[in-house]
Amino acid sequence: MNCRILVSGMGIVSGIGNNTDETLASLLETRTAIGELRHLNTIHRLPCAEVRLSDSEMKAMLGIPENAVYTRTALLAIVATREALKMSCIEKGIPKRIAFINGTTVGGMEKSELYYTDFLTNDNFNEYIAAHDCGACTEIIADYFECFSYVSTPSTACSSAANAIMLGADLIRAGIVDIAVAGGTECITRFHLNGFNSLMILDKQVCRPFDETRAGLNLGEGAAYLVLESEETARLRGISAICELSGYGNACDAYHQTASSPEGIGASLAMKKALASAHLQPAEIGYINAHGTGTPNNDESEGNAIVHVFGEKPPFVSSTKSLTGHTTSAAGGVEAVISILAMKHGFIPANYNFGEPMKSLPFEPVKAKIEPAEINHVLSNSFGFGGNNSSLIFSKTDN
Amino acid sequence: MKLNQVYINGIGAISVQPDLSINGLANPLSFRQNYVRCADPNFRDYFDPMAARRMSKIIKRAIITADIALKDAQVELPDAVISGTGLGCVEETEKFLDAMIQNEEKFLQPTYFIQSTHNTISSQIAIKLGCRGYNNTYIHRGVSFENGLIDALLQMNKKDIQTALVTGNDEMTPNYHILLGRLGYWKTEIEDSLGIIKSPNGPGSFAGEGSVSIVLGSVRNQNSYTKLQAIDLSYKPGGLSVEYIREFLRGNNLTTDDIDVFLTGMNGDAPNDEVYKAFETVFGENKMACYRHLTGTYHTSSAFGLLIAATCIKHKMVPAPLMLSGNSCNKVKYILLYNHFLNNDHSLILLSAC
Repeated sequence: MNCRILVSGMGIVSGIGNNTDETLASLLETRTAIGELRHLNTIHRLPCAEVRLSDSEMKAMLGIPENAVYTRTALLAIVATREALKMSCIEKGIPKRIAFINGTTVGGMEKSELYYTDFLTNDNFNEYIAAHDCGACTEIIADYFECFSYVSTPSTACSSAANAIMLGADLIRAGIVDIAVAGGTECITRFHLNGFNSLMILDKQVCRPFDETRAGLNLGEGAAYLVLESEETARLRGISAICELSGYGNACDAYHQTASSPEGIGASLAMKKALASAHLQPAEIGYINAHGTGTPNNDESEGNAIVHVFGEKPPFVSSTKSLTGHTTSAAGGVEAVISILAMKHGFIPANYNFGEPMKSLPFEPVKAKIEPAEINHVLSNSFGFGGNNSSLIFSKTDN
Repeated sequence: MKLNQVYINGIGAISVQPDLSINGLANPLSFRQNYVRCADPNFRDYFDPMAARRMSKIIKRAIITADIALKDAQVELPDAVISGTGLGCVEETEKFLDAMIQNEEKFLQPTYFIQSTHNTISSQIAIKLGCRGYNNTYIHRGVSFENGLIDALLQMNKKDIQTALVTGNDEMTPNYHILLGRLGYWKTEIEDSLGIIKSPNGPGSFAGEGSVSIVLGSVRNQNSYTKLQAIDLSYKPGGLSVEYIREFLRGNNLTTDDIDVFLTGMNGDAPNDEVYKAFETVFGENKMACYRHLTGTYHTSSAFGLLIAATCIKHKMVPAPLMLSGNSCNKVKYILLYNHFLNNDHSLILLSAC
């Protein structure tokens, strides 16, 4: 029941890279992807971190016919899942029960917002009505690989992918599946760009997480997945692990639909639950990859929660959202991969664009990349609207 | 997944059927249209007028059914809140989308956007209850509710939680009814919704909507409705085979003969119903039961299947309108629920009398 859950593969696509190698290179060079929008057609000139690949380029990469019905969210996910499966030597036909657990919120909205008037008045784009809901998105991705016999779509806004990873581990421990490919995907849509804009939480410049002058977030897009399996399954398959998912916690802030409690109650609970499930003391965590969106509210709340759990001198903390943008539902996956890369390659990614420490916090984030850095355990936070807070802990397998 | 000690200890619902008691189920309403909305309570009985105006309809329904179910179970604060919804807060999503298109991305108010994310339901319930425990939302088509239920059961089996509020909520807006109509979901004419399954005439069903809350507990109490024995979810097994179901039952030391009622998601849509009818010879026609001719079809109508099954098993009888044979069933120890979505997503839930 409480077997160790190993990470045996991972895949990622975001503004800072189309795979793990490119992502690692960007992190080591502290290269941000935030800039002008090129793919999304909108009136707003807000900085965002788009994935460089166009839909057509992704279709060509994946051998999908140009006219086939795939939303950008699904294409991003297929690119990342393909890398994860390859790394973990999973292909169609292997005799294992494999789950695909896909955190997403926008689903097929990127096409629905284009064709909505058609949806209501004619039959021209009915295939995109069928592809609109998030579950449809998950199944389109799963069907590309033909190796999944269990699918699920958790959706908790910006913590969706983290909750997907937790579900994957729970399903393996309950013996329901042998392997779980879990994470999330989201492309930037006009719908949520305008939504965040109407909430006035988008920075017109590159965001500055944990900076006194921070003025909001920048949206990003991407997809990232981990391959999870039990130690036993990995041994039988002869697969070596990248690391272990040693702990996780989910809690609800129960405070406000779009604001976090100032003291970060839900965030503290999620981190504490994760530490307890990993049987770790706070001091054993070597690096915290913060949710750190760059909004005044999140960073205040999360910062207070970190102090509450880790004390006034917490481990190294950085937010990588000033590099990748806020990839919303995918963030839990994207930042899980970033956290694992940091631990594996021994460095602390920079909290890019940080200048002025927050007056209310006793600690500062990591201003410039630190290398080498010995990390045995890394904690990644993902917090969603509605107070859906989740924390994941990854540990080296030789601990 | 085989379960240790999990009971349904409280239920609450808002449906197109105004009365979901065992008597109400024996005398359901019949509809003559392909689109039926909920028989809503007077929201002002539950919310002050300001709050009622601010909140979206689906949230109001969810909060009310959660309240009813928790009171029914005599649970003040559940350890977890988990929801399944196929489409989430569609009305608000449509309003924001419509405003964005009409106003060409200008002058947008955040209110509808704030309420548009699917997880608003679970989080609004948590805010209302002050529940800081485990909180999650699943949006997976016709098995959204089962996905939420499995998560609750995983947390209970881990002994992380002792009680869970699991909800299934979907609303059918006029626009979404049009959209799904384009995909062939609805018959154009309905004579008598109650007869829709027995007199099949091609594809399509009628649209419903609803909110269901179920309180799970690891301890049986005087109000317990039923024991949840086992649950299973599968994606594209190529249709569930008889052998698959036998295997599922074997895992619980049961055979198909032990099942008193086989409660299916039949809804009058010929391709949908065909999948269930393949099991008629296994269980016998007099064990076949259905509920979507009462509730209509929508993504979380399976939550109603569970609610109705729980009510029936508690009263040790399944009223005649639910049975395909038209005769009530008076021996109800085991109910097996089987639901599929487009023959891709399949779920099985096994219930037994307490």
